[in-house]
Amino acid sequence: MFKKEPHDEIETIIGPSVQVEGNFVASGDVIIEGTVSGSVKTDRNLTIGKDAKIFADISAANALIAGEVQGDVKIQDSLQLTETAKIFGDVKTRIITISSGASLNGKCTAGEANKSKFEKIDERVKLEKAKNKSRETEETELNK
Amino acid sequence: MYLYLYDSFLNQKKHATVLARIETRLTDLGIGGKIFRLSPLRDTDELLKEEIRNGVKTVIVVGNDKSLTQIINLAAKFNITIGIIPVGPDNKIAQLLGVGSTLAACDIIAARIIEKVDLGKANETYFISNITVANNQGGVTIECEDRYKIIPHRQNQISICNLKPIFASLPGKTSYFNPQDGSLEILIQPLVSGLFSIFKKAVSLNNSIIPFKKIAIKGKSSTTIYTDGQRVLKPPVNIEIIPKKLKIIVGKNRHF
Repeated sequence: MFKKEPHDEIETIIGPSVQVEGNFVASGDVIIEGTVSGSVKTDRNLTIGKDAKIFADISAANALIAGEVQGDVKIQDSLQLTETAKIFGDVKTRIITISSGASLNGKCTAGEANKSKFEKIDERVKLEKAKNKSRETEETELNK
Repeated sequence: MYLYLYDSFLNQKKHATVLARIETRLTDLGIGGKIFRLSPLRDTDELLKEEIRNGVKTVIVVGNDKSLTQIINLAAKFNITIGIIPVGPDNKIAQLLGVGSTLAACDIIAARIIEKVDLGKANETYFISNITVANNQGGVTIECEDRYKIIPHRQNQISICNLKPIFASLPGKTSYFNPQDGSLEILIQPLVSGLFSIFKKAVSLNNSIIPFKKIAIKGKSSTTIYTDGQRVLKPPVNIEIIPKKLKIIVGKNRHF
């Protein structure tokens, strides 16, 4: 799922025997198998293991979540929730994949934010006519 | 101009043949120089300071890891180039620098491939290899860059590494522990005993590796912190990376 880049960025690994408190910021990939409270931020890939417990807001480029997250999840590109994932918070991402069995308790926003505007048919016909008229007048002016 | 420092353990008779061979090889290569034999009664710092004042630019340590780490602090302060000719066991640092056998080291010194490597600084003490926290019976916390705090469980071995620890089999990528990357790594390993220690690979998946530039280790007064396995510090200890601080002669087969 994660995009591999040619340079080998340093990974941060938080093992199961470690607890992290505070604003955790990393520039490379991050793997969490332990407990983190506060916030987690990386510009690259984030992997949360199935025994990990995160009491923090998360921000990353891509994420694979198999453990428990209590906090908002903001992913720039793609988010994958495995069958053991438990999310208690809002999720915002561009692409989301949810395996059956995953639990998601919160508002989920996925995909592009551009939405179409509702227009009545009569109004649409009127608008098209007006457009055609203005195009015709432009053309005649150019021919002169 | 070269200055050769022979560690005090080389005064034992069994090393006489090796030393004679080293000296012959160095003379053949045309890089002979002044020789000093260290002893517990001699003040190495004073001796080095005087030689540096007299124009010594390269100091070659003949001995082991312990001998090399003894002069790291002075080398860092006075901007001299250092090298090592490994003799006897306990030469892990030499291995990582690509300096294999004793006689091959003489050729490596003559070839003079000099690399600038990062050094760690713990309070006022420089270290090249690692820092270890002994007696971790809980209560040790690591504050990273004033942003977050790491609390390892009891019975974890805590190390701060610049060079790759030879004992560790590590998960994930291989770009850790590069002494030229401008960062140090915190390595936290759960201690295992008995049968489980056989399955080291499986256990290594439980390790934590966290790169950093500046941390502070805090803990109880009973906690002991060793820099390069030698100097003893007591918490709190502030640790930071000093990039490209040391000029060192390396071999082609170096591990970075």
